[in-house]
Amino acid sequence: MYLRKEDRWKLLVFLLPAVVLFIAYFLYPLIYVIVMSFYKWDAFHPPEYRGFANYAALFKDLTFRRALGNNLTWAGVDMAIKVPLAMMMALILSKKIRGWKFFRTVYFLPQVISGIAMAAMWSAVYNLDYGLLNGVVKLFGGQPVNWLGNVKVAFICVIAYGLLYIGYFMVIMMAEITGIDTTYYEAAAIDGATNLQTDIHITIPMIRSSLATCITLAAVFGLRAFEQVYLLTEGGPANRTMTMVLFIYKKMNANVYGTANAAAVLLIIMGILVMSLVRKIVAGKD
Amino acid sequence: MQNMIQSRDVGSVILRVLKWVLLIALAIYTIFPLLWLFVTALKTNAEYFQSPFSFPKTPQWHNFADAFVSAGMGRQIINSIVVAFGAVIINLLLSGMAAYAISRYRFRAREAIFMAISLGVMIPLNAFMIPYYRMYSTLHLLDSHIGLILLYASINLPMSIFIIRGFMDTFPTELEEAANIDGLGFFGRFFHMVLPLTKNGFVTAGTFAFITCWNEFVYANLMLNTAAKRTIQTGVRWFTNEFTTDYVRLYAAICVAIAPSLAIYFLFQEQVISGLTVGAVKG
Repeated sequence: MYLRKEDRWKLLVFLLPAVVLFIAYFLYPLIYVIVMSFYKWDAFHPPEYRGFANYAALFKDLTFRRALGNNLTWAGVDMAIKVPLAMMMALILSKKIRGWKFFRTVYFLPQVISGIAMAAMWSAVYNLDYGLLNGVVKLFGGQPVNWLGNVKVAFICVIAYGLLYIGYFMVIMMAEITGIDTTYYEAAAIDGATNLQTDIHITIPMIRSSLATCITLAAVFGLRAFEQVYLLTEGGPANRTMTMVLFIYKKMNANVYGTANAAAVLLIIMGILVMSLVRKIVAGKD
Repeated sequence: MQNMIQSRDVGSVILRVLKWVLLIALAIYTIFPLLWLFVTALKTNAEYFQSPFSFPKTPQWHNFADAFVSAGMGRQIINSIVVAFGAVIINLLLSGMAAYAISRYRFRAREAIFMAISLGVMIPLNAFMIPYYRMYSTLHLLDSHIGLILLYASINLPMSIFIIRGFMDTFPTELEEAANIDGLGFFGRFFHMVLPLTKNGFVTAGTFAFITCWNEFVYANLMLNTAAKRTIQTGVRWFTNEFTTDYVRLYAAICVAIAPSLAIYFLFQEQVISGLTVGAVKG
């Protein structure tokens, strides 16, 4: 690459602001949460070194275990239901069937609305006295259900509404399907393969990298879930809808910083593990 | 043979019917709650209590104006615009500079920079609530739009640098060499050649960052206290607590909060879809 010698320091100057902000907003907080996760610390006393005591306490804490279990369930359900459904719709719409643009526009729509506004809308749907869902239940002569206040169904309701918002994953996979060389399909057509056979034997194997992206994202979104439970249930009833981020938020507001930081470290480790694992699998196959 | 062909036809008809049922059901699932919310927001509370499904006798358009005024949403929308645009402008300028440096100069620290970028994309940032909060309380940046702008500009750096660098790598360096011979200096080349010619990268990164900032809730909620400083997303949280019994006004307010996102989506649909998707795939 061509560069005058005296220009080199200018490039370093160009890099500097981003590096400074990266240190302030990524590196420093990362070191901070790791170090402080080993201290007992509230707002009123100086921090006190405790080794792994915060972590040991976390795993004994039923609320945290509930949160961890909920996040894993959330991630698992999204990976098992949302991703395959999105793939199916991507396969269908990629054939440019009648109205495919309309369907793509509609399915992607929830993606541009903020998580908190979506949750607010669904709180209206789930409302005990006048909500849409109980309106339907009453229409069929049933008794209204306290969807978000019932320990049996609250967590299902919180996960369920986002499960059919498949537009994001679908569009990611459609982008890769569009890039597949058409000669594969021409050859398959000559061999008399049906649409379903072409999908299974050609398209799906060819889009495995975007499939892996979607699986990763599903896992990451499942681990990060916050707005839904914060607005709809605040973790209740009886912690049934607690998540890790909400747990950190609540411990922070209760000034139990050591525990909150230990939970944050676990969240970071899980996030990085999931992403690098899926990347490795994809890289290994290529 | 005849039987086989027939059963295959029947099978494909069933598949086709199932396909369309699924397509339409998912579309209804997405649109219906939004439409229901909108229609309900046009009713009176009395009408709503009678039946959640009826249509309003006369549409109460003033519900939207009432909600807008009593929830202070004009202010919140302006705040969101200021914060999101401020953050995106700073983010794009710094990302562009950094991406240019990474793309044009072989540092010894190049590997470390790539590691840092992918680390930045992978970390669940909600884990940093405590350090950000403590840092901002020390720096007196709590409850300030400048603090939030800096935060948003920074946390979107790894993704933006990643996207823009991809565009800069494909930019032909011969053009720059020719311009250099013609006497165009370093900054001239950057601002007058590289930026205009890689603007698609900036549009993609900017779209991704803008939507992320506009929709961000966790840190806006954590950092901003004063009512006059709320963004539209923290406003949603506030009025769901405030209008608990005045349902139609609450629903009208939620509609107003969603409206700007939908407007941007319908105006720049292709851009929004590709901006959000490219970010995800590359990250």
